[in-house]
Amino acid sequence: MSNSTAAEVDLVGDETTLNIARAALFAALMGAFAYVAFPYPLSPAPVTLQVLGVFLAGLFLGPLWGAAAMVLYLLAGALGAPVFSNGGAGLGVLLGPTGGYLFSYPLAALAVGAVAHGGLELRSLAEASVARLVGGMVLGVAVIYGIGVPFLWWNLEMTLRTAVVTGAVVFVPAEAAKMTAAIGIVRSDAIRAA
Amino acid sequence: MLSYEPGDSVAHHLDPRSKLLVQGGFAAVAFVYTTPRGLAALTAVAFGLLAVARTAPHRVLWEFRFVFPFLFAAPLLGGFAWGAWFVPEDAIPSALAGYRALLVFLVAAAYVRTTPVRDSRAAIQWAVPGRPGQFLGMGVAFVFRFLPVLRADIGRIRDGYRARLGTERSVPERMGLLVVAAFNRAFDRADRFSLALRARCFSWNPTLPEVGFSPLDVPAVLVGTAFLAIAGYGAIWAP
Repeated sequence: MSNSTAAEVDLVGDETTLNIARAALFAALMGAFAYVAFPYPLSPAPVTLQVLGVFLAGLFLGPLWGAAAMVLYLLAGALGAPVFSNGGAGLGVLLGPTGGYLFSYPLAALAVGAVAHGGLELRSLAEASVARLVGGMVLGVAVIYGIGVPFLWWNLEMTLRTAVVTGAVVFVPAEAAKMTAAIGIVRSDAIRAA
Repeated sequence: MLSYEPGDSVAHHLDPRSKLLVQGGFAAVAFVYTTPRGLAALTAVAFGLLAVARTAPHRVLWEFRFVFPFLFAAPLLGGFAWGAWFVPEDAIPSALAGYRALLVFLVAAAYVRTTPVRDSRAAIQWAVPGRPGQFLGMGVAFVFRFLPVLRADIGRIRDGYRARLGTERSVPERMGLLVVAAFNRAFDRADRFSLALRARCFSWNPTLPEVGFSPLDVPAVLVGTAFLAIAGYGAIWAP
């Protein structure tokens, strides 16, 4: 024990502890989702559950802790946890062609949560209308592609038309399927911790 | 899967902050000098850095395979033009940019392979002071700890699911079922974990892991600074 300073222990509050644990577990779950790929006929990139994870972070953790969970996810990936699609890791993935999508996740989770909960406070999802939930997720998707596609365009120096087609248009049906899944999950009350 | 491996290479002995500086500087130079000559020089540098980290390039390339479709598709689609079938000049910028992404990935892989998570955590808490830094540091450590646990959870859920012919269902249904089961397990784990943390006096100011520069870091910091200087020079005056 070389360090024997007498500084006071500054305990983390109970509620904050739970939120930190949930944010970290959620970030790890996003990483675990990266390995679950459903084959998708329209693009070489498989459809993963990660965008669904972004939706659910905003919905179940709320805008602030949801965004915090996404920041942890990106930071852990940048520092070497194999959490990006197909077990990718490191700064290289974040600076690569698909990095813009990843950078958009915290903002997208914030947007989904803020619209669905009507502010930065976490409220019961049972009171939120389906229109609100869908509105939040549509805004979230707009944020993800609004940042991801220009990044892809700039990063690979392709034409804008090519970037929009290969980076966004082909994924629209998949995002719609994920929104349907997210609404089903919220409405079924199947997730106990909400 | 590329992850930290204990070893005795020079890169293993460096401070995480100097490795991050070299990595960031390399990426900056690659983005400023995305020309055939610039990338040729950077290829040599990247292989040099991999050698310092004793990381085999072919292993890293194998990790990178999932990005290859994007890299090949971009120049092909970029060079495709109405009327004239294929304009090679239009495909060149995309091809160079794709190669740049590959080089940055190679160098980042060297960091990943030679840096344990506790070093990265110490670097985060050094860079971001106060509670935000503590949150990021401990959060990242928890993510590393729980990632294999949750992956195993998902594996068990999928096994059970295949055994019951769940694969016959539609994709949205399968996504929904898998996500609900995975979430409930993760949230249960989070509740138990937070109880365990509170029982152990989880605090904002635990004893920090020590980070310190050694003489080996001097050349690394010089290299990183030189990268940033070259990139800055190139961005302002050269191309």
